[in-house]
Amino acid sequence: MRTKQEYLIRYKDGNLYCELADIWIDPSKPVKKALITHAHFDHFTFGCEEYISTKETALLLKKRVGDNIKIKTFEYGEEFKINGINISFHPSGHILGSSQIRFIFAEEKWLISGDFKLQKDETCKQYEIIKTDYLISECTFGLPIFKWDESKKIAKDISKWITNSPEKTSLLFCYSLGKAQRLLNEISQTNFKGNIYSHDSIHKINNSYRELGIDIQDTIKIENKKKIDELRGSLILLPPSLSKGSYLKNFKNIQTAFASGWMSIRALRKRSGYDKGFAISDHADWDGILEVVKKSEAKNVFFHHGDSEALSKYLVEKESINVLLFGK
Amino acid sequence: MSLKKFSELFSDLDSINSTNNKIEVLKNYFLSNDPIDNSWAIYLLTGKSNKRFISGRYLKNLFSQIYEYPQWLIDTCYLKVGDSAEVITLLLKDKTNSRKKKLSNISLNELLSETIPALSKLNEEEKNLEIKNLWETLPEDNHLIFNKILTGTFRVGVSIGLITKSISKLINIEEEIISHRLMGDFKPSIDSYEFLINKSINLQELNSKPFPFLLANTIEDKIFKNSINDFQFEWKYDGIRMQLIKRSGNVSLWTRGQELVNESFPELVEKMSHIKDDFVLDGELLVWNFKEQIALDFSILQKRINRKSPTRSIQIKYPIIFIAYDLLEINGRDIREIKLENRRIELEKYFSKWQIKTENNISDIFKICDLIFPKDWPDALTYKEKSRENNTEGLIIKKKTSIYSSGRKKGIWWKYKVDPMQLDAVLIYAKGGSGRRAGLYTDYSFALWKDKELIKFASAYSGLTNIEIKELDKWIRKNTVEKFGPVRSLKPEMVFEISFEKIQISKRHKSGIAVRFPRITKWRKDKKINDADSLENAYALMKKIS
Repeated sequence: MRTKQEYLIRYKDGNLYCELADIWIDPSKPVKKALITHAHFDHFTFGCEEYISTKETALLLKKRVGDNIKIKTFEYGEEFKINGINISFHPSGHILGSSQIRFIFAEEKWLISGDFKLQKDETCKQYEIIKTDYLISECTFGLPIFKWDESKKIAKDISKWITNSPEKTSLLFCYSLGKAQRLLNEISQTNFKGNIYSHDSIHKINNSYRELGIDIQDTIKIENKKKIDELRGSLILLPPSLSKGSYLKNFKNIQTAFASGWMSIRALRKRSGYDKGFAISDHADWDGILEVVKKSEAKNVFFHHGDSEALSKYLVEKESINVLLFGK
Repeated sequence: MSLKKFSELFSDLDSINSTNNKIEVLKNYFLSNDPIDNSWAIYLLTGKSNKRFISGRYLKNLFSQIYEYPQWLIDTCYLKVGDSAEVITLLLKDKTNSRKKKLSNISLNELLSETIPALSKLNEEEKNLEIKNLWETLPEDNHLIFNKILTGTFRVGVSIGLITKSISKLINIEEEIISHRLMGDFKPSIDSYEFLINKSINLQELNSKPFPFLLANTIEDKIFKNSINDFQFEWKYDGIRMQLIKRSGNVSLWTRGQELVNESFPELVEKMSHIKDDFVLDGELLVWNFKEQIALDFSILQKRINRKSPTRSIQIKYPIIFIAYDLLEINGRDIREIKLENRRIELEKYFSKWQIKTENNISDIFKICDLIFPKDWPDALTYKEKSRENNTEGLIIKKKTSIYSSGRKKGIWWKYKVDPMQLDAVLIYAKGGSGRRAGLYTDYSFALWKDKELIKFASAYSGLTNIEIKELDKWIRKNTVEKFGPVRSLKPEMVFEISFEKIQISKRHKSGIAVRFPRITKWRKDKKINDADSLENAYALMKKIS
């Protein structure tokens, strides 16, 4: 057994790092070379000398960071070499362009899951099962209390929530990249036929998705000073940041909801301050994580991004899978 | 009507913040369901039922046993969720969706009047099997309700006031009357629901029920602008607020929590039944020191509350008294609508009549409250400050012209409580909260100095804002010294001002003292741990009072 210093990929300064290739994965501070799994703000940082990602992630990244970054793109499954290591991106099903990253070196395979989900999502490519020796997996929802309903059912609930209160404007808060587009796609297939508005930040990303060939329903861009409580019976998609502060205080006839996996727990729902919570997530639930761990056939598993204690213990005890800890 | 309807009502009430919408949802529920299911719904929503059929621990063990699920994993989930019934509901989702059994379409009434009570007649093995069977045949949406009822933890953000309002709107009858109909015992049945929504108002039917209690508000500055002569002053006792009712010769004791407590205080029931008149008195039950004529601590009263049919020696050891504040009904005549000052005259008149005429001496168990007559407002303040000497909590100030309405009506009755005692203490332990506070460290223990050691003296849960709770939770996670299960011992660094109502000697605690109603009143970020109070300060506080 090797010591942790000898692992191909390890934790360094709170980030995943491959020393042999001198390359970082989703670094939180500027570095020379960064592999980016997807374009959520907590997975990249400004100021890296070079970024490497899928072409979808690259486009979304540029919209966020600016056009003048140096970025190299690869197709899903296309292998490229850095210092003798074969690296490739594979779909992770999290959002458009999101990927797992595989490293192969001297016949040893490593897989970084990135953020992922197994559930169907028509706005991005389905998660691809990749076999590996070492798996580094996220475990945001690594407890068995998390078990997602089908997104069709959630969309139906949302549609019912809006139509049951025709005298109100329904404000649905969600992450503007990925979740918003997935919700739009699902809601457009329900019985709700009223107007849908979206906040500028979401509106822009909808356009990027269209640019990348994903069919997203048209929404009306909401102007900043718009009296949204006059839009009774309509749905407005807004980023969660707007639920704090004074924005909402101006409006009376509204009902609010938050779309997030955390909303499956009553205490968190109550504490969130929203009227309602819809438990829909772009991360894998407990079963999803277990399925990926098993199907990857990994002999060694690392977890990050979440409370991994219970999940690790469960895998060791019940599935006899070797779960390793990064020295942080 | 199926249980599903009630589950929907529960989830609607849970996710609606506006009072008007809640009332609307309730009204619609009552309109579209059977009287019997409605009466059960009211029973559950007003919190009249919190009978525990099995404990949360039992529920978790059972799940673990049936589905071969590690106990520690359930416990870890519990820390995140904070409610056994909900944890099992969430875990069941994983277990029963592949089932092939036919789903049951049980009604709320069947569940509550047949299925669940039947469980207690089974032996353990049969009971476990039946619960498993119910889990696997009840539709998934109903699991939470079912588990919550089983564990006696059914609660939802609906007040009795809200139920009262929605029934009042439903049948167009004043809230006061509905609220009176809802008082006391409520046995779910078609009759009890039809009685509730009966459009004719007949006082006779309310005979067995106490009146809705009128409650005092916290003092407001504007009251000091009024003449002192407009008010009646009483001591604020710390006992059990109660209505003592004698109607058609029968005496009943109803607490403000609407419990009938005749069995706990048989000597009072017996003595009062000798009085010739019928009446309804509003007052306070206390354990009384007859020699010094003062109330004993609430902690002593607690020794009587939960004891049914107390022995003669208990009755002698902890002698009780009922102190009447108010007369609400006399010989069938409801006098709540006349002015307080006139009710007081009636109360005094009847009290002296009863003292003379009643065969058995009643004054060893019953009296009317003494009034206080401050000359002016500063004088009232002096009385308030003296209230600890006679073991009261301060003053109750009542407008002499007030009629006896119901609830916490504004602008007629006030409580003028003595200022709390305070100590600055150091946070040393934190424990995860439950319910709404699950996943956060919200239960805190505080310590005082004894020489160079910090000794735990109180635990407190309330007083911080949500923002402070989150901030402190972050700090706790970063400054944990050791973990013992759900409890973390912390680096002594944070100082808090702790307020409390009473302080007394306690042999059970390492600190040697116990305080009543401790709560956090300030996060003293300006103070270092060396600035915190010592146990000696606490002892000094105790001396000052006694």
